[in-house]
Amino acid sequence: MATTTATISLGSADILSQAISLSSTMTLYKDGTESTGLEQMNYHRADIPTGTQFVLISESAALNTNPANYVYICNKNTDVTHYVTISIKDEVIGSLYAGDWMFIPFNNATTATAGSDDPSGDDTDIAIQAFTATNTIEYAMFHSGETLLTHTAS
Amino acid sequence: MATTTATITLGSGDIADSNFSVSNTATLTTAGTATGITKTTGLTRVTTSATSNVVLLDSSATGGVQVAANATDIDKGKVFIQNLNDRGDGTKYVTILLTAVEIGRLYGGDFMFFPWDGGDGNDVEITPSSTTDTTLEYILFYQ
Repeated sequence: MATTTATISLGSADILSQAISLSSTMTLYKDGTESTGLEQMNYHRADIPTGTQFVLISESAALNTNPANYVYICNKNTDVTHYVTISIKDEVIGSLYAGDWMFIPFNNATTATAGSDDPSGDDTDIAIQAFTATNTIEYAMFHSGETLLTHTAS
Repeated sequence: MATTTATITLGSGDIADSNFSVSNTATLTTAGTATGITKTTGLTRVTTSATSNVVLLDSSATGGVQVAANATDIDKGKVFIQNLNDRGDGTKYVTILLTAVEIGRLYGGDFMFFPWDGGDGNDVEITPSSTTDTTLEYILFYQ
C-alpha cells in the first residue's frame, strides 16, 4: 500500500473581526479499510478550449465498486476573468477561476441502468467547460482501480 | 476587501517510483476579479444521527444562504467540509450531495474543498451512512 496525504490550510486575517485559521491533514485510504492507502494515481495537464463541455474524468464500474476516490483540479490560468465550470451528471458544482483549486471525494454513484457508453449507469463523469478563453487545467485522481478499456485494432 | 487563502498540499513518498508532491495556494476572490471575498458563514459544527438527507448549506431564497440574487449568475462560493469522526474500520461515512447528485463520500477524518455556484435549490446536503453520531465542521466563503 501507499501513503498519500492531503493537507489543507485556510486562513484570513480580516474576513471577520477575528482571524480565521484552519488546518487539517488526511490520509487517502481505500473504502472499508482502517488503514490501507490508495495505490493508484493519475495526474494530467490539459488545455480546455471554450465552446463545449468535455469529460475530464470518465466514470467507470471500477470507480463505482471502489468508491473511495479523490479528485484534485486546479486552474493554472492567470487572467482572473478566465474560468471553467466543473459538473457531475447534470449538476454544475461550481466555477474554478484562474488560480483556483478543488479537492473532492468522488464515488461515481450508480442509480440507473448501465449502458455501453455509461458503465456506471448514471453519467457520473466529471465534466468541464471553459469560458472566456482556453484554460489550462491540472488534475489528479487517487483511486483503487479504473475499468480499463479493451483495445480493438481498427 | 478581505484576503483569504486556501492552500492544498498533496504528497506521497511511495505511490510512484519518485516522490509525488503538489502544492497550490488560491486567494479567494469574487468572480472574475482580483477583489477578495468578504462574506463567510463562519465555521459551523454540527452533529447528526440522521440517516436521511440533511441540508448542510441551504441555497434557497428563503432561510438559507442565497449565493446569488439571480440564480442564473455565475457566482463564487467556496465550501470546506470535514468529517470529524474517527475513521474506525472505514465503513462509516457521509455522502455529500449537491441537490440530489452524489459527489462522493467523506470518511472519518476526510475533508473536501470545492467551488459552489449556489443558486435556488442547489443545496449542499449530506447523508450519513449510519445512526452513529456524525460530527462535521464546515465553512462557506461567498460573494
